[in-house]
Amino acid sequence: MAGKRTMTLNLTGAEMDALEDMSKRKDLSKTAVIRQALRLYQAVDTRLAAGEKLVFEDELEKKKAEVVVL
Amino acid sequence: MSGQAVQLVRRTDDSVVEATLYDGMRPEDLLLVERAWSPERLRLYEQLLQKGVRRDEWPESLHWDWSKKAPELRFLQATGFGIVYDRSWEGVMLTKTAAHVARLAEDKGKPLVYVDYLEVAPWNWRVLPLELHGRFKGIGSVLFREAVKQSIDEGFHGRVGLHALPQAETYYEKVCGMTAIARDPIKQNLLYFEFSRGRAQKFLEEGGAT
Repeated sequence: MAGKRTMTLNLTGAEMDALEDMSKRKDLSKTAVIRQALRLYQAVDTRLAAGEKLVFEDELEKKKAEVVVL
Repeated sequence: MSGQAVQLVRRTDDSVVEATLYDGMRPEDLLLVERAWSPERLRLYEQLLQKGVRRDEWPESLHWDWSKKAPELRFLQATGFGIVYDRSWEGVMLTKTAAHVARLAEDKGKPLVYVDYLEVAPWNWRVLPLELHGRFKGIGSVLFREAVKQSIDEGFHGRVGLHALPQAETYYEKVCGMTAIARDPIKQNLLYFEFSRGRAQKFLEEGGAT
């Protein structure tokens, strides 16, 4: 993983709380959480741009909901 | 791409050769891999047909095509690894680092490195019905170990998951020490295996599937 660059990230208190909570639950550093989020966002955005849909499905409740990503 | 020295074992005399493991393969690298491998796939296919070998004894990745997997590398979550010896690609692996989480109870919901595809070059396959034993061995183990290392580098603590082709199930369970979880209906009913954080640590300490 060569060629890493550093940046400063400004978050609100609520955002930092969410990041810390996610970091703890996922057993990841805060940097790793941000990187994961970016990877997922890029993957979802690319597939949506290609015309695919993102759907959440609840098998027990037999419900499906399309997720709109900005 | 960046490279590091790795060792492969020549099957004919068990001699060790030094090859190079690259990470950060580009889509065009996968096109070159398939261009080099597809004539050998075709040659094997023709021999298997000629000899009347039963389909269930054919190498299970005979139909794979790395050129079709090349577009995956445009995603940040995908990484391509490949081993080169004497200007020839001897094995390739594609991993994903997002959208897959652990299923084992001790790690449930935590991220892992998912090995999407791992294949050695067709001339390295052991195809016993054709009395072929392959040029080099140890390629799969080098690539699998790299997946564990990538998981550690990513902060995933060595957690790795994969769906194994039936002919590789014994290897991942007995040689690598992965845990078989369940057959997966949305992945052609392939058996899903996982490496826990604890098991990965032990694997690397012991030298890992060598």
